[in-house]
Amino acid sequence: MSHSTVTVNKTTVFDYDAEFSLLDSMEENQVPANYNCRGGYCGLCKIKLTQGQVTWVQDSLVSLDADEVLACCCVPDGPISIEM
Amino acid sequence: MTYSTFNKVKNDALKEPMFFGQNVNVARYDQQRHAIFEKLIEKQLSFFWRPEEVDLSSDRKDFMAMPEHEKHIFLSNLKYQTLLDSVQGRSPNVAFLPVVSLPELETWLETWSFSETVHSRSYTHIIRNVVSDPSVVFDDIVDNPEIVKRAESVTRYYDEFIAKCNLYSLVGAGEHQLNGETVVVNLRELKRLMYLTITSVNVLEAVRFYVSFACSFAFAERAIMEGNAKVIKLIARDEALHLAGTQHMMNLMAQGQDDPEMVSIAAECQDQVIQIFEEAAEQEKEWASYLFKDGSMIGLNAEILKEYVEYITNIRIRALGFDDLYPGRNANPLPWMNAWLVSDNVQVAPQEAEISSYLVGAIDSDMDDADFDDFDL
Repeated sequence: MSHSTVTVNKTTVFDYDAEFSLLDSMEENQVPANYNCRGGYCGLCKIKLTQGQVTWVQDSLVSLDADEVLACCCVPDGPISIEM
Repeated sequence: MTYSTFNKVKNDALKEPMFFGQNVNVARYDQQRHAIFEKLIEKQLSFFWRPEEVDLSSDRKDFMAMPEHEKHIFLSNLKYQTLLDSVQGRSPNVAFLPVVSLPELETWLETWSFSETVHSRSYTHIIRNVVSDPSVVFDDIVDNPEIVKRAESVTRYYDEFIAKCNLYSLVGAGEHQLNGETVVVNLRELKRLMYLTITSVNVLEAVRFYVSFACSFAFAERAIMEGNAKVIKLIARDEALHLAGTQHMMNLMAQGQDDPEMVSIAAECQDQVIQIFEEAAEQEKEWASYLFKDGSMIGLNAEILKEYVEYITNIRIRALGFDDLYPGRNANPLPWMNAWLVSDNVQVAPQEAEISSYLVGAIDSDMDDADFDDFDL
């Protein structure tokens, strides 16, 4: 699962390196993301998953459309593309 | 629609809508129509805290040393928060419990409202600590025109909804003469009012609290009033959960995942939802001006606070599927706030950690022969 490629807004690309969450990985790679709670309930780190799959590492407690994920609650499962 | 405390009709709660179906009878949580409310209950219970856990002893000294305009900022925010939580500690119960139809949602409403009473108790804890006569602060809440103005818009929807539900419950649908006025009540009108009331509560939890939060955290960034900030951090954590609850209710209704009639009602109410958000955001910006009327505090002023209100309003209204109310306001003007709103930074209370001395009713089974030395038959 580690070293999955994450493409952000079709431009920035970085490797996920076994961080706790996609949000941590984004921060590690200087991709600025909104966040508050990091616990799956404030909804600030909501992003669109346009390609690929994710694995949930903690429960999301906010309303999500089918193509949305919370960056604090998941990690990439293979290469993914996100929009924010 | 007379309310029954235990509806005798056998019903399947999995087929009931969130509100205005049959009254809840059996409080069972092994199955849920909307599992999210069960998750919110679990989370809220795991968040349980008591104000007395937070040591405020150094705050009094900090408060005494503050210049007058900072005392005004601090106390005014406390008054406003006391108002908001006074309303929230009772209103979800009074307004929504008589019309709720799902056991998990009924318990979420009660759990949510209970946690607001803990917030109210924490304001008493803080106020008692910083001023010698708490009445000076509490009495001003109903006298201060700036706060009274906000109280009116915070409670307007609740009060109308409760009054019309009472009328409907007593005399049913129709045109009724009440105190010389003609009042029309019917189920659709009640559902419309309920949707707007939930919107108004969402705004309360999602936007109205945050100006006060920002000020409390700004004081603590300067290493003053840190006890207060710890309490506010716990309150902010709860409020984020509550706003997730109202967002879910609104989205489930608007997206047709609950009562089918709510889809068209939510669509009809779109302009009013925007108006409720706009009114609250503008009031909060006015509040920021009132707070800083006699001077700013280090690290925060009215202008930056107003930008933060616009930023947070955009985020909240977007979560309900609406466009930004303040286009272009997408960067957080107070990035340091995030550190205070992160849940995993919240200190673990001793009773949550594995410290045996804090485990109520725990038995120490570690024994040896010496333990019987003073034991005689």
